[in-house]
Order: sequence, then structure tokens, then C-alpha cells
Amino acid sequence: MTINTPVTDARPAISLRNVTKTFDAGGGLVHALDDIDLDIAPGAFVSLLGPSGCGKSTLLRVIGDLVKPTEGVVEVNGRSAEAARKAREYGMAFQAPGLMDWRTIRRNIELPLQVQGVPRNERRARAEEMLELVRLTGFENHRPRQLSGGMQQRVAIARALAFQPKLLLMDEPLGALDEMNREYLQRELLRIWRSTGTTIVFVTHSVSEAVFLSTEVVVMSPRPGRIADRIPIDLPYPRTDETRMTEEFYHAESRVRTALHSVLEPVQVG
Amino acid sequence: MALRESLAYAETPTRAVATNAAKAKQRQPRRVSRQVARSAAVVVGILVGAVALWEGYKAMGQLTGDVIPFTSIPLPVSSSDYAMPHIWVIFDALMQPANAGTTQSLLVYYLDQTSVTLREAGYGLVIGALIGVVLAVALREVQFLTRGVLPWLVISQTIPLVALAPIIVVWAGSAGMPSWIAVTVIAAYLAFFPVTVNMLTGLNAIDPIHDEFMQSINAPRWFTLLFVRFPTALPNLFTGLRLAATASVIGAIVGELSAGTGLGIGRAILTAAYYYSNAPENLFAAVLIASLAGVVFVQVITIVEAIALRKRTN
Repeated sequence: MTINTPVTDARPAISLRNVTKTFDAGGGLVHALDDIDLDIAPGAFVSLLGPSGCGKSTLLRVIGDLVKPTEGVVEVNGRSAEAARKAREYGMAFQAPGLMDWRTIRRNIELPLQVQGVPRNERRARAEEMLELVRLTGFENHRPRQLSGGMQQRVAIARALAFQPKLLLMDEPLGALDEMNREYLQRELLRIWRSTGTTIVFVTHSVSEAVFLSTEVVVMSPRPGRIADRIPIDLPYPRTDETRMTEEFYHAESRVRTALHSVLEPVQVG
Repeated sequence: MALRESLAYAETPTRAVATNAAKAKQRQPRRVSRQVARSAAVVVGILVGAVALWEGYKAMGQLTGDVIPFTSIPLPVSSSDYAMPHIWVIFDALMQPANAGTTQSLLVYYLDQTSVTLREAGYGLVIGALIGVVLAVALREVQFLTRGVLPWLVISQTIPLVALAPIIVVWAGSAGMPSWIAVTVIAAYLAFFPVTVNMLTGLNAIDPIHDEFMQSINAPRWFTLLFVRFPTALPNLFTGLRLAATASVIGAIVGELSAGTGLGIGRAILTAAYYYSNAPENLFAAVLIASLAGVVFVQVITIVEAIALRKRTN
């Protein structure tokens, strides 16, 4: 294991063995994932980084049991991904907030708890707790459309965290935001991660985002989707905006960038 | 340090949005009344335009001897008072007593008859809408029904209504039911289809992110149906209901033509058509009232829709 955070539990939170995923795309088979082996320790913050078409989103969905692998085994906390999903161990956030217009902010966050059958009072209390966590107290009764994109994304994160999942799977959740909001939410995400101890798998195509957030960056190469390199990021937490300007940050970024460039085809660089 | 910064950043949009929402709330009543005024102006404009076209056509036809000006091409419809009574003659007819020996005006009589029709259409719409929604859910949730049943629903709507209506009336009669029930069934028969089709589209139009999210939290099918698919389909449902509203009025009117009762605006139209040569304006008056009734019906649906969806569009 290459995780720098102290690991007391020897068992990985996520374990993938020989995972392959092929899609039948009309004209022929597309190898989205090819023979992926990956262990992720409990409490780690792992980013999946790579050019489009490298299968990083597919890999995230395989871990989350939204996509079944063609071959291979996915284990989450010692059981199958499907069992973990059915036990509601996942919280997911996507590139778009995906909030429901017909519900208030509070009722959006309550939705996963409603599925679980949590009583109304407890739901409400938990939703308020989550809103406090993402610093949106006071917006309980607003509608999603009344909030900015960044605020909506925070609500989506709160919704994903509502039933205190063991795993948070995030598919480019900050990709659609402007730089200011994005860096602000990166700090927020680290704060939430550190206060909840949740294992996070985070898909991104931004090198600096991956370096700033992660304990480890997994660089993937396209066609077929493979793990090209795994780079531990040894920068100490808490990481702040000053961290971004340190030499160590620059070096970590350079290492990831080098790994990324070695998997990019020349056409894509231009 | 970083914490204080992020707090400050969090507060800025907070205040901005809160004040915007407050402003929007103040602005709303005025905006609504302006909208009402604008749509009222459009309605008046269209009515004035329609009257001007009708009377303009008549005046031109009278001047040219029913040919297109400077040609010998005849006009499609004669401009005579027999084929096209003057607007004021039609309105005057509405003010006259409906029958010899009564003081009730034709307008009141037609409105009375229209209320009978609207009641039949209303029951038909409610029944049709319920059947339509249930069918849409069944078609969406039970795979083999989608392929097996949908074509038959389409075929059901291609059966000519003029052939079907008398059959339903005869069946209802032989079962000892009052004729308004037959009329209601015919209205429901026309109303369910647009509801089914639009509702089905809506149920399938779920946002892929909502779908993935519901899967990720292992939501049962019924939960996703009730709390995600239904709300997603609500705007489509209202589109279907508006089409169903007009269809149910048409169904009720056509049903009345086949039914044995003397009630309903459909019957009144038939009577006016029978006595057309005596009083052509009566038929136009009846059609006018019938179409106004349809408009009112659709407007009711539109108002319900605006209330049901008011919180989504802000």
C-alpha cells in the first residue's frame, strides 16, 4: 500500500482484481477498462486522473456497482460491490448537482434518509446537520434553482453524505464550476473528508485539483483504460491555499503531469 | 486563516441570493397582473381580428358578387346571410327567447345545455385521466406490456367515433344505464389516450443523474417511481390533460348526438342544424357557445397546472 495516512485496518476499503469492462458499441467491442488491479485503504482520498476515454468514470461506476464489470472482482469492505450498494454504503456525487426541482433543499438532502425509512424528525435533524457541514444553514426551504451552481453542488455533497456512507464516490463534481468556487469547494471537501473520515474516490481531469486533494493520484491511460501510474502525494494536511504555492506542491504536480503526458497521445496534447 | 476566508466566501453568495429571493417575492404580484393584462389584450385582439375577417369577407363578397376581386374565381363560401350570418345577427339570436312560449333566452338555454355537456365531459376526463395514468405506469413498469399493448391503444383511437358512439350508447341502454353514462364513457375513451402517451413519455424522461443517484442509494423501484418519476412526469401529465380536456368535450358532444336524450349542447347543435334554413344564426350561436365551453375547460386545467408547478419555475 502506498497510502500515507496511518492505516490501522489491514483490509482495503476497496479492492479490484483483474477488472475488465468491454462495451458493445455497435461496430465492435470497446475496452473501457483492461485488467485493473487497485487497492484503496480506508480513509484514503484517491483521485482517478486521465484524459477523456481513459475509463475513469467507468471505473468509478464499477466500484459503485452502477456498471457491472465484464470480468474481475470488486470488493468493498470485504464484500461484493453489489452487497455494499444494497447495504447503502455509498454516497455519490456527479458532475451536475442533479438536485430535484420539486423538493426544497432540506427535502433533497432527506431523500436518501427517506429511502432508509428514517423517521421524519430524525431526517430533519440530520439534514440540518448536513447543511451546517456544507455551510448552507438557512437555505433549508429554498429551491435548488434559487441557489448558485457552487451552492447546489454543496447540497449534492450534503445529500451524498446524508446517511453517513463509508464511501464517497465523486465523478468530476467540481468540473462545471469557476476557479474561485472550485478552489473554495476543494478546501471544503478536504475539511468534510477530515471531519467524517470517509473514504473518497474522486474522478477529475485537473492535475492541480488531484494533487491538492488526494492522498494518492491514480493516473489512467486510454484505449484500453489502464492504470498507468500511482503517485502518492506526501503533502501534509491540513492543506491550505498556501500549500498550492509551495515548492513541494509544484514538485508533486510535476510528477503527476509527467505521468499524465506519457499516456497522452500526441494528437490530444495539441 | 483558510477557514475564515472560506467563511467569508460562503457568506457573500448567501446574502446575495437571500435578497434576490426577497425582491422576487415583492415583484411577483405585479408581474402576474401584467401577464394577465397582456394575455387578455391578446385574446381581445384575436376576437376583434376574427370578427373583422368574417365581416370583411362578407362585405367583399357582397361587393364582387362572390368572386375574388378582379378575377372570375368564385369564393369558396358564399357571403350570403344564409351561409354566413352577420356577427350581430348571431349575438342577437342569443338574446331572443329560446322557444315560443318561454322567456328564457337562447343564450341561457345553450349555457344550460353546455353545463350538462361539461359535466359529462368532466366525469369522462377524470375517469380517462385515472385510466391514462394507471396505463402509463403499467406500460412503463411491465416491459412486455410496452411492446404488446401500446399498438392496440393506438388502434383503439383510430376507430371512427361516429361508429363507436352509437354502439356504446346501445350497450349502455341495454344494460339499463342512463344515457349520460354512455356519453361519459365516450368522453373517457377519448380522454385517456393523450394522458397515457404524455405520461409515459414523462415517466421515461427521468434525469440520468437522478436515476444513477437513486440506484446508488439502492432505492426500491416503487420509491423511484413515486418520488422521482412521477414528479418528473408532472409537466407532461398536464400537457396530456389539456389535450384530454378538449378531447373529452368533443367526445361528450359526439356522444350526445348518438344518445337518445334531448340534453346537452351536442343535441342543441343537432337541433339547430335541423332547423338551419329557418334560423341559420342559431347554429353559429350554438357552435360559438360550445367552443367557448371547451376553452373554459382547458383554462381550468391550465390554472391547476400553474398552481401545481408554481414552485418549480421561479
